[in-house]
Amino acid sequence: MERVAIAGPNFSGRSETLRARLGADGKSFFLGPYAEAALSGLSSTVADEIAIYRGSAQRHATFPADIAAAGMRKPATLSGGEQVLLALHCFSRSDYGAIGIDTALEQLDVANRARALDYLAVGAFDVTLADNRVEQAPAGWSRQDTARTADGFSLDLEGIAGALKPRTAPAIAISGMDFSYPSKDIFRGVDLSLAPATIYRLIGDNGAGKTTLLKLLVGVLAPARGTISLDGTPYQPRRSGNRAFALATQNPDHQWCGATLREDVARRRNALSGRGIALPSEEEFAALSRRLGAKSLDNHVYELPLVARKRLSWLWPFCGAMPWAMLDEPTIGQDRDTRVALAAAVTRLGERGYGVLFVTHDDDFAACVPHRVLRIGGGTIREE
Amino acid sequence: MLTTPRLIVIALCAALNVSLGTVVYLIKLPIYLDSIGTILCALLLAPDRIVGFVCATLAGLISVALIGLLVNPFYPWFALTMVAIAAVSAFLTAGGAPVFRARPMPVVPFAIRVVLYGIVTGIMAAVVSAPVVAYLFGGVTGSGSAFIVALFLKAGQQVLSAALLSGLAADPVDKTLQVLFAALLYRATPVDFIKLVRGQ
Amino acid sequence: MTPNGAIVFGLVVVAGAMLARDAGLAMLAVVCIAFGAVEIQSRTLRALTWSAGIVAPLAAFMAVVWIGIVGRAPDEIAAGVTGSRTAAMAHVLTVSGRLFLVALVVQLVISRFAHLTPLQFIRSIAAPVTVKKLTVLTLSLIDTILQAVDRARTALIAAGVVTPGFSMRNIGHGFILIQTVWLSVITIATGRLKDKWPAENTLARLDHALSSPSVPLGCADLIWIGLAAVASAVAVAVR
Repeated sequence: MERVAIAGPNFSGRSETLRARLGADGKSFFLGPYAEAALSGLSSTVADEIAIYRGSAQRHATFPADIAAAGMRKPATLSGGEQVLLALHCFSRSDYGAIGIDTALEQLDVANRARALDYLAVGAFDVTLADNRVEQAPAGWSRQDTARTADGFSLDLEGIAGALKPRTAPAIAISGMDFSYPSKDIFRGVDLSLAPATIYRLIGDNGAGKTTLLKLLVGVLAPARGTISLDGTPYQPRRSGNRAFALATQNPDHQWCGATLREDVARRRNALSGRGIALPSEEEFAALSRRLGAKSLDNHVYELPLVARKRLSWLWPFCGAMPWAMLDEPTIGQDRDTRVALAAAVTRLGERGYGVLFVTHDDDFAACVPHRVLRIGGGTIREE
Repeated sequence: MLTTPRLIVIALCAALNVSLGTVVYLIKLPIYLDSIGTILCALLLAPDRIVGFVCATLAGLISVALIGLLVNPFYPWFALTMVAIAAVSAFLTAGGAPVFRARPMPVVPFAIRVVLYGIVTGIMAAVVSAPVVAYLFGGVTGSGSAFIVALFLKAGQQVLSAALLSGLAADPVDKTLQVLFAALLYRATPVDFIKLVRGQ
Repeated sequence: MTPNGAIVFGLVVVAGAMLARDAGLAMLAVVCIAFGAVEIQSRTLRALTWSAGIVAPLAAFMAVVWIGIVGRAPDEIAAGVTGSRTAAMAHVLTVSGRLFLVALVVQLVISRFAHLTPLQFIRSIAAPVTVKKLTVLTLSLIDTILQAVDRARTALIAAGVVTPGFSMRNIGHGFILIQTVWLSVITIATGRLKDKWPAENTLARLDHALSSPSVPLGCADLIWIGLAAVASAVAVAVR
């Protein structure tokens, strides 16, 4: 069995190298880096996804995954990590003799990631793995290096951090907050204070309420009971609009307001100016987006590689328009140098007076950012 | 004819019809937005009109069946309406594809085409739907149409012509909006995807 | 009962309903309720209430139009006679009855096979493979689109471009949400087309998953189809 770890920075051709190794002859299972790339796209229940991949004879040991028991759940509603676990389970039930994984394991938490790597290390199948957090080829693996190409997307996070204008983020106070979905209670009587110039990491199981908290803070949802205030002033974003939070989504494609950056910026400017929120000038945006790797504001966003789009999604937290930044899995797909630079830039956000909430499975990234931990679960939010 | 990229396009456009149609139906908007995928399918496959018609028809019929099963059981009765929309989209609206994608946007030619194609699509939809509305629904499909139909019936029109006139009053507006949305989505679609679908 | 049998049963009931009037519609309703009682038992009540709920607003509007405003039935308008509200009411009842039966039989058939996954259901119906593949693909993409709508809506509300509730802003900017969702889903689909599907030949697996020897109609199918056919024939005869 051949196990190959493809190592190299972003834009060095790792994905192409991986795909070339797999070929296009239908003999290899593929787990890609982008949203839903773990799924076949041919099923609307977990049970059907497994049924599609089930081979006539099972060739490998089963990769156990709790999610496999959730037969009627829709695969598109699973978290990224759950989708990857489901895909590994499907591979283990299939008759493919090889698997290629392009950074997909980065969506797993520490325990599941270790389990997945252990499974890949001992299985009777070929493995080709590209992963930004596998820096040394594990024992028994060979390593294939790739080098950065000349037309890679340059990144200047240090310059971005240096250009951040200081501001004083408001303190957030949540008092007696209740929130439930029709089938489930999420928060019961939550009291929480979030200090300005502080960075918080949200942790909790899937379904615990991390995304729900983000939605409550930007105004998609409203609490059934309780109050949220900014520096003591009542804050009702569902009624008055979001005034405080710049959100960078896990899938960057979910946040574009236009087909080009220029269109995106113009629409946001138009929307936010009505609330008295001033955005940086177009020149400042152009400079910021160049530092994030875009050659021009007229780039068609969706025609850029995924890694580049992910970086451009950081435009909003770092443009300084909003005092609090929310980053959902910001490091997915980013190489080590980028993760280190991003950690420094996020730390600088805190130092310049902004507040930050981030969600990540990347403990190494989190360790580089001085932060406090908010654990969400059991109806509560506790600072640890 | 049905290459893998085209199967994806048909499914994508059908899914768009179902998703938008369902959302609009559930929040009771006075518009439909359930044929944007059909129109878009024809635009994506322009200039091949036969392929565009076949794929747009398949997208339309699959969405009609799924909406019927999942949300609104009366929807499949309008299957022929969807075929008519696919025909107009493939043989007329798709002719506007180059204008819809031109950069910078030629506003006046764009607008003229959207309005013209929308009106023709709306007229065809109203004509084909009228017998269904008249017979299955007694001329009344909801609050929007109810009072227009009542007006024509009170004036002595028979139910089929009242349903037709009611449809002619509403459908061109709704379909113009849908052609506009489809044209803007087509305009925003990455060129790589269009090349993939057209086999270029 | 097989899915194909249930679908044929449904089609026969609908065909009969389209041609029947009051007594005939009642007869078909009895057949449907009997089907529900035998095939889906307690869920029949839910099917009945759902169907009534979906038809009630339409019936109400029809009543306002035909009984309240027009005051005569369509055939009276066609004959050029003065007509009566009683005839108008009979017309409304007939049309409402038809709509109710259509809604009910669809719900009954769906409920009968609710225990099957979509792939299992689609595999078992008699249809061209291409249509089955397209249906499977479409169902998967619907879920992807709806998930993208939820995520994109959060982001665009955060950006202030759309509002959570109804607003004039959403009338103007609602298209931005549709565009964002469309482009994100195209990106996912393109990725599969270029990478995952060629490597795995995934579509061939779907062909395999959808292939099955066609299951002939069984006794239960023939009984219910027969009952529906007889009821439809009688319903049409007595109109």
